[in-house]
Amino acid sequence: MTREEIFNGVQDIFRDIFDEDDLVLQDSTNADDIEEWDSLNHINLVSAIEKEFKIRFALGELTALKDVGAMIDMMVRKLK
Amino acid sequence: MNNYKFADIYIGLEQAFNQKITADMMDHFLEISGDNNPLHTDSNYAKEKGFHDRVVYGLLSSSFYSTLVGVYLPGAYCILQGIDIQFSKPVFINDNLKIFGKVSYINDAYKQIEIKAFITNQENKKVSKAKIKVGVIDE
Repeated sequence: MTREEIFNGVQDIFRDIFDEDDLVLQDSTNADDIEEWDSLNHINLVSAIEKEFKIRFALGELTALKDVGAMIDMMVRKLK
Repeated sequence: MNNYKFADIYIGLEQAFNQKITADMMDHFLEISGDNNPLHTDSNYAKEKGFHDRVVYGLLSSSFYSTLVGVYLPGAYCILQGIDIQFSKPVFINDNLKIFGKVSYINDAYKQIEIKAFITNQENKKVSKAKIKVGVIDE
């Protein structure tokens, strides 16, 4: 799976969870950029990504992430 | 009350309980919610609309999803974080409901579990189903 495919899949999940069909992610997007990205929606995002991509995250991995790009990079490594 | 801790919970863990719907519950729900729609309060109106009696509030019968997670699965350490309910059949006063739930997903990082749940009536017909997200606050 390419980075672009992962990115697009993650963007679809964001669009579904935040109910914004035209939401466009950037690598630099973080919780400050999306008003509804609160703690519960963060859990919803992680759960949806784990299920969609059949991967698992540890809490330590997640707390170190600073933006969407870092999340995608970690997913690329996990999906190799 | 059950008190499953996060470490005790596994995919496939299930719980169920039974609950009869009474007219008294309908009165209390009306008092709490203020929902005086005649479908729930007027038998004649409900019959005109094709039901054999007034229809139990969907959110009354589905309130037992709260009981499912708060008392049974996981019980004491539960915090309800989300619920998506679909109704498939009407519920009537004196129906005997069975509420069933099974753990379908576990988020280890954030100690959240997802439960697939449903409610059946005394004829074993499914009246609603739900996907429930629950945090486990056992620390």
